[in-house]
Amino acid sequence: MTKKLMLACVAASWLMTGGAMAQKVVTLWHPYNQETDLIHVGIKAFNESQKEYRIEARLVPYTQLTAEMIKAVATGTPPDLVTLNDPVVASFASQDQLVDITDRIKNSKVIDLGLYYKGPQTSGVWKGRRYSIAREVNALALFYNADLFRAKGLDPDKPPRTWAEVRAAAEKLTDPSKRVFGMGFSAHASEQSTFQFLPWLWQAGGSIDKLDAPEAIEALQYWTDMVQKGYASKDVITQQQNDVINSFMAGNYAMAVGGPWELPRIQKDAKFDWRVTTLPVKDGKNIRASSLGGFHFAIPKGAKEVDGAFKAIEFMSRPTFFQDGWKSGLMSPRSDSEVKDPLWPQAYAVFREQVKYAVQRGPHPDWPEISKPIQTAIQESLTGSKPPAQAMKEAAAKVNPILAKTPF
Amino acid sequence: MAHRASPLLYVFLLAPVFYLVALIGFPLLYNIAMSLQDVTLRNLGQLVRPFVGLDNFRDVVADPTFRKVFGNSLVFVGVNVVGQVSLGLVAALFFAETFAGANFLRGLLLATWMLPGLVVGALWKWMYASQYGVVNYVLQALHLTTGPINWLSDPAMAMTAVVMAHIWFIMPFTMILIAAALTAIPGDLYEAAALDGAGPLARFRYVTLPALKPTLLAVCCLVTIYSMRAFDLIFALTGGGPLDASNVLPLLSYQFSFQQFRFGIGAAVGTFAVVFVFAVALLYVRTLKYEARP
Amino acid sequence: MTKRARSLTFTIVAFAGAAIYLFPIYWMLISGFKSSAEIFVNPPTFFPRDPSLEAFHSVIVQENIARYLRNSVVIALPVTLLTLALGSIGAYAMSRIRSRLVDVALVIVLLLQVFPEALIATPIFIIFKAMGLLNSFVAVILATTSKTLAFALVILRPMFLQVPHELEEASFVDGATRFQAFWRIVLPMMRTPLLVVGAICFAQAYGQFVYPITLLTQQELQPGSVGIYAFIGAELSDWHRVMAFASIYVLPILALFLLLQRNIVAGLTGGALK
Repeated sequence: MTKKLMLACVAASWLMTGGAMAQKVVTLWHPYNQETDLIHVGIKAFNESQKEYRIEARLVPYTQLTAEMIKAVATGTPPDLVTLNDPVVASFASQDQLVDITDRIKNSKVIDLGLYYKGPQTSGVWKGRRYSIAREVNALALFYNADLFRAKGLDPDKPPRTWAEVRAAAEKLTDPSKRVFGMGFSAHASEQSTFQFLPWLWQAGGSIDKLDAPEAIEALQYWTDMVQKGYASKDVITQQQNDVINSFMAGNYAMAVGGPWELPRIQKDAKFDWRVTTLPVKDGKNIRASSLGGFHFAIPKGAKEVDGAFKAIEFMSRPTFFQDGWKSGLMSPRSDSEVKDPLWPQAYAVFREQVKYAVQRGPHPDWPEISKPIQTAIQESLTGSKPPAQAMKEAAAKVNPILAKTPF
Repeated sequence: MAHRASPLLYVFLLAPVFYLVALIGFPLLYNIAMSLQDVTLRNLGQLVRPFVGLDNFRDVVADPTFRKVFGNSLVFVGVNVVGQVSLGLVAALFFAETFAGANFLRGLLLATWMLPGLVVGALWKWMYASQYGVVNYVLQALHLTTGPINWLSDPAMAMTAVVMAHIWFIMPFTMILIAAALTAIPGDLYEAAALDGAGPLARFRYVTLPALKPTLLAVCCLVTIYSMRAFDLIFALTGGGPLDASNVLPLLSYQFSFQQFRFGIGAAVGTFAVVFVFAVALLYVRTLKYEARP
Repeated sequence: MTKRARSLTFTIVAFAGAAIYLFPIYWMLISGFKSSAEIFVNPPTFFPRDPSLEAFHSVIVQENIARYLRNSVVIALPVTLLTLALGSIGAYAMSRIRSRLVDVALVIVLLLQVFPEALIATPIFIIFKAMGLLNSFVAVILATTSKTLAFALVILRPMFLQVPHELEEASFVDGATRFQAFWRIVLPMMRTPLLVVGAICFAQAYGQFVYPITLLTQQELQPGSVGIYAFIGAELSDWHRVMAFASIYVLPILALFLLLQRNIVAGLTGGALK
C-alpha cells in the first residue's frame, strides 16, 4: 500500500503543478456529456487560438451541478467559469456569489446584447447589473408523429394550432389497444414541470403573480383533463423531459412537448416521420408563448482568472461560433445569427419562430421557492388529490408573499 | 476467566474509535452548528454565521411536510428491517443446505446489492412504469390485476414501490451476513441436540436462533441505520414523490439544502435523524446484555 | 424423500427463485443491447429486437471504462485492508473488554454514521483541503474507510464473541502475550467472517459515490460509480449506455463474491445444518 500511496501522491502533485507553467489556467465546470456539444469544440479552439490562457474543463454530472457550486461556495474553491441553468443565476447573484460583468459586456467588441433575443437580454440581470450571459437559448415546441397522424385520418401538414385542436387531435390519436397516448409532457416534480407548464399558463393569459386567477386555473385544468381523460399517461408526473421524448421516439406518445436539444437523438432513434410545430394558442386569447431555457456563462466570486474567463466567454459568444451549435440542437442567443443549410430545416424554422415568443423565468433570487409550489399544484391536480382551483389557490398563497417581498 | 484487561486491548478499542471521531467528528459538529444558524449562500463560506438557536428546528417541526416525511422514514425503516432480516434469514437457511448450485446461486444474488443506487432506481423506474413497465405487464398477463397499477404516480402506492425496490436491493447483503454467522455455529451443538432427539424445527429454535441472536441484532441495527440514510435509490426512483409520498429524511434534507438553498433547515432535518439513530443505538447497546456468550 | 431427490428439489426451487429475483439484472443486461428508444417501448420487449454492441463498444472504447474500474479497485482495496485491520482489532477488543466503555464506544460509532453523505461531503472536503490531500486517492480511501469501519466493527463484534475465551486463556497459561493470542489463535478462527466482511467492505468502497465526487475533481481519477453519471446529462440520458456500463461495472465484484463462495464452503466444518 505504501507504493500505491507514493504513486498517488506523485500523480497528484504532478497534476497540480502541471498547470502552473507559463499559461494561466481557466477552470471551467460544465455538465455537457454529449460529445457533439459545442463546448468541447469551443474549449479546444480557444486553447489553440491563443497562448495566454488554457481552459481546463471539469465535467460535472448534470444532477450535481448546483450542488457542486454550492459546495464550491461553502469551501471557497469556485471554478473560474461555470455554466449555470438560467433560473438559478439570480439565486447566486443576489447572494453576491457571481462577478459583476456589466461593464465588461458593455465594452466588449464581440458581444452585442442588443442583437440577442429579448429573453436573454433580461435574464442574468439582477438589480440592474449583469452577472451572466446566455450560452445558448432554447424554447419548447410540439413534436408530433406524422405517421400516427395519417393513420388516424389527421393531416400532418396541418398540425393543431389551438388548445381545442390539440385536444381533439389527442383524443383521436389515443389508442389503448396500440398503447398510444395522444399527448405527452413532463410533469416531473422538479423545475422541469414548471418549465413545461408555464407556456400554457401564459397562453391562457395567466401570470405567476396571479396563480389563483381563473386563467391560471384553466391552464392547469387543461393539463388535468388530458391526464384524466387518458390522452396523456398518468406517468407524466414521473417523467422528465427526455423520458417523455423517449416515449415519443418509441411511438407511444403521438405528440410531445420538447426542446431542440432532443433533435440529435430523435434523428437517430425515431423511426418514423416526425415533425415539429409551434405550441398552440388558446382559443380566443391568441397569445403565443413558450418557455425560454438555456444555460448561462457566469464567473463565480473568488475566481482567480476573471479576465481569462471573460475572454473564454467572448470567444464562445462569437456569432460564427454558433453556426455549428445547431448540430446538437443548440440555438444561438443572437437573433441575427442564422445557420445556413441547417440540419432538420423544418425543425429549425419552427424553433427559430418559437424562440421569438419565449419568455424567461424570473429572474428572481428565490425562484426555487416559487417553482416548488407550482410543481406541487401540478402534481396534486394531475394525481387527482386536489381540484385545480384549490391546488392553485394554495400555490398562490405560497408564491404571493415571496413576490410581495421581492417583486420580479 | 480473563481478569487482565490488558492495555493492548484498550489500544485496540480506541484506535478505530479515534479514527472515526477524527474524521467524522468535525462534519457532525459542522452540521449541528449549521442547524443552529441562519445560513445563506452569502455566508455559507464562513464558519461563523448568525446564531438563531432552535428557530430552524421550530420551523422544521411546524412544517407539515416534515411530519409526513418523518412518518415515511419510520415506515420505510420499519418495513425494511422486518422484510430484509426475515427474508435474509430464510434465504441464508435455504442456501445453507447442501445442494447443487447452492453456493453459486447465493453468490449470484449479491449482484443486486452491488449495483449503484442510481442504476437500481432507474431499473425499477422502468419496471414500475404504468404503461411499459414489466411489473404491470406480468401482473396483467397472470391475471392478478385488471388494469395497470400506477406504482410511481399514485401517492398511495409510491411508498410500497420504493420499499419493495429497496428490500430487493439490500436483502442479499443481510443474507450473506447471516450466512457467515451460520457457518460459525459449531457443528457439535447440532449433533448434541440431534442426539437428544430434537427435530429440525427444535434445532432451529434452540441452537440456531440463540447462536444467531447477536448477529441478527447487529444486522437489525445496521439495516435500521442504512435504511435511515437511504438516498440514491429513492432519489433516482421517485425523487421523493409524488407529493412527498415516498420522501424520506435524508432526501428532504438534501432538497432543502441543495435545491432550495435553505441550508440551516436542511441541516436541522439531518439532525433529527441523529436523534433517531441515537435512540436506536442506545436500544441496541442495551440488548448486548442479553447476548449468548459461549 | 431420498437425499438425491431432496437435493434436486432444492436446486430447482433455488434456480427458479434466483431467476425471478434476478430478473431486473437480466433487464439491465439486455437494455445494454437495445437502442435508446426500444428501452421505453410499450409493450416492453423481453429480448432486443435488433441486438447491437454499440453501447458496449462506446463504453469500452470511448469512455474507457477500464480506467474507471481500475480507479474503483485502487480505492476499494486499501479501504478493505485498512478497515479489516482497524475493524478486527476494535471488534476483538469490544468482545473481550467487560465495561461500559464498550457500550459508549458502540454508540459513538453508530452516531457518527447517521448523517447522509451529501451533508457530510462539504466538511469532509474542508478537512482534506486543510491537509492538502485534495485530488488524491488517499483522501478518498481515508474518507471511505470511515463508512466501512463502522460496519465492520458492528458486525465483527458478535462474531468475535463466538470464539470461546478458553482458547486464549490456555495460551496465556503457556506464556503468550495478548497480541500473540489474538494473532495466532483468534484471527485464524475468524477467517471466514473476515473474508466475508472484507468482501462486503470492498463492495461498499467500490460503490462509493459522494466522497470521490467531492474529493476528486479530475476526471482521470474518478471511479466507476462517478463515471456512470457521465451518461446522464442535461439534455439527454443515454440509458442503454448506462446499463452497458453498469453491466460491466458489476462484473469484478460479482466475480469476487462468486469466488468467495467456495471459501465459505471450506469454512464449514462438520456442516452447520443437517
